[in-house]
Amino acid sequence: MGRVKNRIRKLRFDHNEMTQEELANRVGCTRQTIIALEQGKYVPSIELAFRVAKAFNVPLEEVFQHDA
Amino acid sequence: MAPLQKRALYSLVVGLALALLLITVLVRQGDVTAFHRNPSLRLIMYFVMIGVPISYVLLVSRSLREPTQVDERDKAIIERSGWTPWLATILSLVAWTLALTEAYWDQGQVPVAFLNLILVSALIVGSLAQSLGILLGYWRMNRDG
Repeated sequence: MGRVKNRIRKLRFDHNEMTQEELANRVGCTRQTIIALEQGKYVPSIELAFRVAKAFNVPLEEVFQHDA
Repeated sequence: MAPLQKRALYSLVVGLALALLLITVLVRQGDVTAFHRNPSLRLIMYFVMIGVPISYVLLVSRSLREPTQVDERDKAIIERSGWTPWLATILSLVAWTLALTEAYWDQGQVPVAFLNLILVSALIVGSLAQSLGILLGYWRMNRDG
């Protein structure tokens, strides 16, 4: 099985240095989950992944990549 | 620290304090027959028996309804830790059964007061194990991902 990587940290900084708290409020999760996502310690559900992509206004694959 | 993680830690501390308090009270009263002698001790025990499960259900159900308090990752941790209260409760019942059987085998009967003690200890052990299971879940998720 591959790993799911993401560019959340970079996208946050590209979006006016959005804080983890702000992103968490936008996508409806806790800040600790955003931290875990950025550290690659949690793979989100497809629904949360879509919400994160929507928060940055980018397609899903621009946020999450699968290392097969 | 996630809100649920904090809540689990507080529950663990409060539960341990409660357990220590009950043990201290029973030890200071002499033995389990204090339950019959002391009506206020009985009242405290009844309060614990009814109050702990009700406050636990209220706290958990309230926190589960708030999306900023508990999200999908927290819910996954709660689900994974679901076996810990059951296991701990069963182990505590096994311990009680073995201990009481050995202690009261010759008399052929066990004092009624132990019924209350068994129930209270099962409630406390179950809720402590739930908190511990949640804390372990966070620790494992942070370690392994």
